[in-house]
Amino acid sequence: MINIQDMRDTARDLLAKNEVRAVIGYRRGSSGMNAEPVVITDAAQADELVWDPTCFHNLALYLVEDRKFLAHTRAKPGLPIAIVAKGCDARAIVVLMQEHYFKREEVYIIGMSCEGTGVLDERKLASQGIQASNAAFDGDDYVFTTAQGEKRIAAREVMADRCLECRIPYPREHNVVLGEDKTGRVLAEPFAALKRFEERDAAERWIYWERQFDRCIRCFACRSVCPMCFCDECVVDSISFPVTAQTTAEEKANRVRWIERSAVRSENITYHMTRAMHLAGRCVDCNECERVCPVNIPLRLLNNKMEREAREQFGYEPGASIGAPALVASFLDNDPEKFIR
Amino acid sequence: MQKILEKIQLDAWIAALGEWEILAPAMEDGIWGYHPLDGAVRLDHSNTTQPPKGLSFPQREVFFSFEQIKGEPPRLTQKMPAATRRAVFGVRPCDGAGAVRMDKVFSDHVADPYYQNRRKNLAYVGLACNKPQGSNCFCLSVGGSPVATEGMDVLMTDLGDRYFVTAVTETGKALMSAAAKVFTAPTAADKKLVEKTHADAVAQPQRAVNDVDAAPAKLKASFDSPLWEELARACIGCGVCTFLCPTCHCFDINDESTGSSPIKGNRVRTWDNCQFPDFTMHTSGHNPRESLGARLRQRVSHKFQYFPENFGMPQCTGCGRCISECSVGIDIINTVNKVTGHVG
Repeated sequence: MINIQDMRDTARDLLAKNEVRAVIGYRRGSSGMNAEPVVITDAAQADELVWDPTCFHNLALYLVEDRKFLAHTRAKPGLPIAIVAKGCDARAIVVLMQEHYFKREEVYIIGMSCEGTGVLDERKLASQGIQASNAAFDGDDYVFTTAQGEKRIAAREVMADRCLECRIPYPREHNVVLGEDKTGRVLAEPFAALKRFEERDAAERWIYWERQFDRCIRCFACRSVCPMCFCDECVVDSISFPVTAQTTAEEKANRVRWIERSAVRSENITYHMTRAMHLAGRCVDCNECERVCPVNIPLRLLNNKMEREAREQFGYEPGASIGAPALVASFLDNDPEKFIR
Repeated sequence: MQKILEKIQLDAWIAALGEWEILAPAMEDGIWGYHPLDGAVRLDHSNTTQPPKGLSFPQREVFFSFEQIKGEPPRLTQKMPAATRRAVFGVRPCDGAGAVRMDKVFSDHVADPYYQNRRKNLAYVGLACNKPQGSNCFCLSVGGSPVATEGMDVLMTDLGDRYFVTAVTETGKALMSAAAKVFTAPTAADKKLVEKTHADAVAQPQRAVNDVDAAPAKLKASFDSPLWEELARACIGCGVCTFLCPTCHCFDINDESTGSSPIKGNRVRTWDNCQFPDFTMHTSGHNPRESLGARLRQRVSHKFQYFPENFGMPQCTGCGRCISECSVGIDIINTVNKVTGHVG
């Protein structure tokens, strides 16, 4: 089991010895039970760092933000930046490196094994009627602090589906790693939720998705939280249409808008389908998009579908190796389709 | 008008409101929301994920349709919302307070016919919060109360097996008069019990924004504070906080084309969001609210400085949605307290 102090000591040493310019990690939030992302730059802040079942966030997002900030301010990165990363987070970092978003030596990965557990699903916890002010790992259990005292639950009862189905709960890519590698553990069959869903017939699935997408309020939390959604301009925004004194009203009116701002079925579906396609072979199933959705749209089903297609059609595992080409930047000599050869 | 309604009579009351479309809290797709009534009303909800704001200020409002046939003048057809009378049951006091603030925005300086047409046909039958709905409730510190009647037409208080029902407006009286026989007159003991229930509700511990009256001046003095960027460091720039807010009202207007020959389409108002990258984007490419810190400052200062300056009350009603639903822990209470705490 991981000793939180080891993580803090690692972060403190890295900052104190000036080996990194910052550490991206987790700390206690100011409201409720959940941890929140934090970027620390001072060794004295290392004791703020926490590691518990509410460390849901895929912090790779902040590597992307950091890179954008550096590009925007035309600053040199200088020292590497350190990041606390679970197995899925580390795979996301690898995907970003495969796509040359940053270089390996620019990132120092403090890997955290999920060992026999994973992160909490808050909705599962709520459905058990538990309101907690704190959550902690203890072996294969979670221990919650509630108004009625300490409550211990087997983690798998309230763990996120994606963690139950996770095949590699260990950050293979790391500079330092804490916790045991329990790759090979089986808590649930991979793609189990997707498989259950696919048993419904097409008409039923369509009705289901219409209902899901009709609910979307287009807050874009799914996009904003995704480390793979790093485009400078997203298809749903129009921020780079150049308007000059010479731009005519007609040109402004006729600028291409792929997706209207109205949160209606046609636009919502186009948005979510566009995102799902852009994540094929890139999504590492951190499932932050589904967690942050305020209206419970089951986005994991879409992303899992694309992940499984890539896996079954091309044997592709996103985030497996920095040296491997990206899915859409590679082809197989034995590709069954003729057009590729 | 103060009455007692046995809980088993709630459905009988609603049945008597035949002229009204009834909306009530329901758990659908795993979240609480206000939905057209389907079966019996149960008011055992925690606060809804989305406030009832969208009933008067929908996320998408079509202003008019247009058509341009070559050689003819453009044809515009205004689309005024249908005048359906709707009564919403179970509205929490923070959202009643939200409606008051929305009314100011769309009535005080500019009368917005689309908003007003929906709003004047909308009645709120509130439900007092005998205890806070969540750990991030803070209505008391922003001038509200868990038993406030502000913005309500009727306020109900749960007294166990019955409700204490108070008409707040003429509309509220009319709603209650439509089913006069399901109500009974409260006894002195009922009145005493509701007073005690309200006093207990107000005494429940809540989180708090410090000294909301001093906030406008202190925020004004903190415009250039480095704290904004620091507090927004984890912000992902999504629109959850504002889209779920009972008082956020920024909007965008676009023409949505539905055909090109002849040119036709709709002029549409949609919610906009100060957390989005293109919110204040100028045509020149300059963006005065470019960073996440500047956008957090915009949201918080609007609630606690600009709105008080314009309307004499904080815009925030303390519902706590923006805190509880934020995926990365951005906390408006903590933000206001930290920023204003740095000003003497």
